[in-house]
Amino acid sequence: MTDFHPLVKQLLDGEVTLADLPPGLRAEGEEALRLLGAVHREPVTLPAALEAGVMTAVRHRAAAPSLWRRLTAPREVRLRVRPWTLAPALAAAAALALLLSPPRPEPKATTVTVRFVLFAPQAQQVALAGTFNQWDPAATPLVSTGASGIWTATLTLPAGEHQYAFVVDGARWVPDPAAPAVDDGFGRRNSVLTL
Amino acid sequence: MSGRDGADGAVVRAVLAGDTERYAELVRRYRDRYARYAAQMLGSVDAAEDAVQDAFVRAYDRLAECRDPDKFVGWFFLILRNRCFAEQRKNRASAPLEAADAVAAAGQPDGEMETAERRRALQRALLELTPEQREVFVLKHVEGLSYDEIAARVGTSVPSLKMRMHRAYDRLREQLKDRA
Amino acid sequence: MTVRLVVALLAIAATPLEAQQDDAARLAGRVSPEVAALVRQLATDAAARGLPVDPLIQKAIEGGAKGVSPDRVVIAVRGVAAQLDAAAGDLREAGLTPLDTEAIAAGAFALNAGLAGRDVVTLARASRAAYGAAVTLRVAGTLTALGVPAAETVALVSETIRAGRKPGDLLALPGRVQAEVARGATPAQAAAGLARAAAAHANAPGQNRPKHPHP
Repeated sequence: MTDFHPLVKQLLDGEVTLADLPPGLRAEGEEALRLLGAVHREPVTLPAALEAGVMTAVRHRAAAPSLWRRLTAPREVRLRVRPWTLAPALAAAAALALLLSPPRPEPKATTVTVRFVLFAPQAQQVALAGTFNQWDPAATPLVSTGASGIWTATLTLPAGEHQYAFVVDGARWVPDPAAPAVDDGFGRRNSVLTL
Repeated sequence: MSGRDGADGAVVRAVLAGDTERYAELVRRYRDRYARYAAQMLGSVDAAEDAVQDAFVRAYDRLAECRDPDKFVGWFFLILRNRCFAEQRKNRASAPLEAADAVAAAGQPDGEMETAERRRALQRALLELTPEQREVFVLKHVEGLSYDEIAARVGTSVPSLKMRMHRAYDRLREQLKDRA
Repeated sequence: MTVRLVVALLAIAATPLEAQQDDAARLAGRVSPEVAALVRQLATDAAARGLPVDPLIQKAIEGGAKGVSPDRVVIAVRGVAAQLDAAAGDLREAGLTPLDTEAIAAGAFALNAGLAGRDVVTLARASRAAYGAAVTLRVAGTLTALGVPAAETVALVSETIRAGRKPGDLLALPGRVQAEVARGATPAQAAAGLARAAAAHANAPGQNRPKHPHP
């Protein structure tokens, strides 16, 4: 079964007329217009009793607001996963996020402990900003481990997908070089942590 | 109809202030506005009645979230739309053919058997499309909206809408040829 | 009529006023009042369409923290809304109704990472009870973000689900790809190798596991 020719689709969209089609496509164009001609456009009227049905429900709610609020509370779908061990990245000059907790026996834990590491020997201060701390660089400063130039922070995060970046010296936003990266919508990249 | 939008805002604000009974004005005003859309999306007038009624009740529940009360009807449309999309899956099993005939049969002049049969065939074929494909077809060719108007209403880009529509054209052609 | 109404009501998951006030509190002080008002309008419209609201608020807060101009923040938030819409459409096409907001958010993440709509549909169809659509799409997006091309991502995730051992196996995939890349493979090669291993294990359960470095 062949698809409609692109010109015929433009005819259907109302962007060209039948006269604009080459002779070889006329028959297909007429077939397409017959299809449109079979569209049912008559207005539909709903029963007047619908209004009564709506107002009955509305009056119930007006009378007992707390009951309806409970019934209509949002259902959160919570993801439960077993903590697992990430393979450590090997490059010394790269920054990585390492998982510290060993796999637990109980199957329904929902948080994972993660260590963030950045090698930045020239930096005066390094912070971590991401979806888990409202992107606030002041919330999670990293700690320098001395002359080695390695900065670290350890957080316990809920399972799910997190995006983050390091903020160096309060101004430079640096994604995690060895982590997966996605477009942040502002012309930069965010790092991704999937737990 | 645009002259009424100011009145909508006043009614919404009155209901939010506690005058529950005034909600009936909005129901009366817009009961049939999207009835045809819902009937085409769900394949039957009965299903449309349920969907529109549920949507009005849900809109009342969430009336405080209607940021722009003067544009109540556009916000109501999105709630109805969501309700229609949620309904699709459940209804597919239950006799869509009869339903399609019910929509096409409404208001048919006698003696136009061939036209009526082609209308029914198209109705059945429309129900075979995905909800997104059916919606763009219905909004453009039944409700008469432009691609820009559809995009503004449902929040999808015009190129995506055209892609869906063109896929719908091909699938409809396929369905109708099989029945020829 | 009354019975039907009650059933319909129980199926509704509406956002109460409290959640809306939380959004306002989260935005306050992080973006300008004008941006906050626009973002809350976008959030209301998104909620009415059944989409998750949190990704929109998060993106606005992120833009504020990064010192981005208000216009660009709004553009970015609209972009997220468009991705959520597209993901919801793809999940519906895959037949995964009723939609849950976590799966929609994961689908939008996968699209942002670079997967195409048809890939999201394929992956959503492949996902099963133990491997929900949200986890499947999150992992697929992460693999794409690592540089694995779309075709290899879809193949690896599908084969892993098909092999059906432990749900944690899906989440382990990005780390295993990273380990192979650290050993010198390209992301595509790493993913293809892992997919072959998963397929071989699924097809020949009695045999020894193929020689394959463990993370």
